[in-house]
Amino acid sequence: MNQWLTLLNKEILEMTRNFKWIWVPIVFILIAVMEPITAYYMPQIIDSLGNLPDGAVIELPMPSAEEVLVASLSQYNTLGLLVIILSSMGIIAGERKTGVAGLILVKPVSYTAFVTAKWAGDMLLLWISYFIGYFVSWYYVGILFDTIPFIDFIQSFFIYGLWLSFVLTITVFFNSFLKSPGAAGFLSFAAVIILIVISGTFSKWVEWSPAQLLSYASTFIMSGSNSSDVWSAIILSVFGIIMLLGGSIVIFRRRELA
Amino acid sequence: MELSQVNWEFIIPIVAPIILIQLILLAIAIIDLVRIEKVNGPKWVWIIVILFVNIVGPILYFVIGRRNN
Repeated sequence: MNQWLTLLNKEILEMTRNFKWIWVPIVFILIAVMEPITAYYMPQIIDSLGNLPDGAVIELPMPSAEEVLVASLSQYNTLGLLVIILSSMGIIAGERKTGVAGLILVKPVSYTAFVTAKWAGDMLLLWISYFIGYFVSWYYVGILFDTIPFIDFIQSFFIYGLWLSFVLTITVFFNSFLKSPGAAGFLSFAAVIILIVISGTFSKWVEWSPAQLLSYASTFIMSGSNSSDVWSAIILSVFGIIMLLGGSIVIFRRRELA
Repeated sequence: MELSQVNWEFIIPIVAPIILIQLILLAIAIIDLVRIEKVNGPKWVWIIVILFVNIVGPILYFVIGRRNN
């Protein structure tokens, strides 16, 4: 445990030196906040940019507060995922490339501790950045549109956060056996896109898919209640995270000894 | 609508914090670029990228440019 905390500390220190603690939260804020602001100013933006003929009237229905918050979450599902994968694609592969992993692993450090400490460090960064970003978005929606109950916000936060964690774990998994950070990032992105596309196309049959968590979080914000399917998705995500993490430890151990 | 007709008093308190954190991101990237010894590729290219590619520029710098081999 002591050793694990040391590794986690090293991870957090490294993220500070990489400025990850600064740029990842800022980017998460920017991604989420653009949505309420552009939605709010859309009529004025169109007025000031478009050369509309006189008398042309564009009636834009003002989106509801819930719709805007859902749109923020959807932004996370594209740009947010990209940021998560970009920021964590070198997590193990990069260290292996530079030889740092070898330096650490000649010491009596367990492979489990090495991988899980890395994963935990990035999870910490992800959840803190995601919370700040989503909270700021919720706050802006509250100012510009309408207040959404905090309990709805926090529940959708946790439901959707599970999907982000799942994506992060996929990246860790690909990191465990690939040497190049770029390849790990690319493969994770491909896997995530395939998951999203499949879950979107066959949504009736794969209600348990972790990629469906976005739509569950959205319906939760819109209606304040949820179908029972959400539990199957939550359980499967947690299970998937544990399996992927376990798998990456096993593969990492094999690869490193070989 | 002319620019002068835009209700700035109403827009600034809402948009200013966003511009501010964007500037923080940009400033940190530039400060780090000045202080760092080696980057991936020529430094002046990164200066242009950070300054002129909004938001994405600094991110690209932190992800690709700073990679120390």
